[in-house]
Amino acid sequence: MRFIDSSIIAVDKELNDLDHFVLDFAAILCKHTSYALVSGYVAILLGRARGSEDVDVLIKSMSRKTFISFYSELLDNGYWCLNGDDSDELYPYLTDGLSLRFAKKNEAIPNMEVKFALKPFDSATLADTVAVKTSGGELVITSLERQIAYKRVVLGSEKDMADAEHLEDIAKGNLDANKLRRIMKELQDGKA
Amino acid sequence: MEKLKPGKTNAEDRMNMVRYWAAYVRAHPDKVWSRQQAMLINAQLKSARKDAQAAKAYLKRKGLAI
Repeated sequence: MRFIDSSIIAVDKELNDLDHFVLDFAAILCKHTSYALVSGYVAILLGRARGSEDVDVLIKSMSRKTFISFYSELLDNGYWCLNGDDSDELYPYLTDGLSLRFAKKNEAIPNMEVKFALKPFDSATLADTVAVKTSGGELVITSLERQIAYKRVVLGSEKDMADAEHLEDIAKGNLDANKLRRIMKELQDGKA
Repeated sequence: MEKLKPGKTNAEDRMNMVRYWAAYVRAHPDKVWSRQQAMLINAQLKSARKDAQAAKAYLKRKGLAI
């Protein structure tokens, strides 16, 4: 794993089935809006030894028309939405701040949990990303500092603390300590 | 690489293993650790996909239609 600069990481990994699933979905998603992968999959992409049923992704809000186009392309590529079939029914979930889950047809696991970035911290997440280059293409993740801070301060379960520990350890010497402290403080003060 | 230190509790033991694995990832080429990670993740997904009951339980847990 090479930390090329603060916005690019190169990972020459043997891609697993979860990586292939995410790369396939992201290749469609990025044609319609910007995104950032967040939470557990970020740690998994960067080596954490655990699986996951779902992959969280924050996306920039899109118009109803763009959503219909995105959803249609997903259907054409063998995906289904676990929350419903009708785009008129699905779109308001996103604008209400809820998430939609998409999986491959006849499957429920793994799935992509897609959410609009509506809150200030979510918007800041979309503006603070890192590109991870793999042999199967590029994925956009939230910055490691932001991911670690969120897991340590907001989520805090044993699994989240372990994910944060893994990210801190593998990125040792490549993290911006001031940035990490600032984001943690913002989250602790409820400013984010 | 330092040896894996046994934990005094299950939680400490799990966290020690997380740290050990992160050190392993840093110390070895990507292809070496990722091959092991792929075995774990692929087996989990294969098992989940084959198990219709697990899929139904998953959807129920998430409050989604079956």
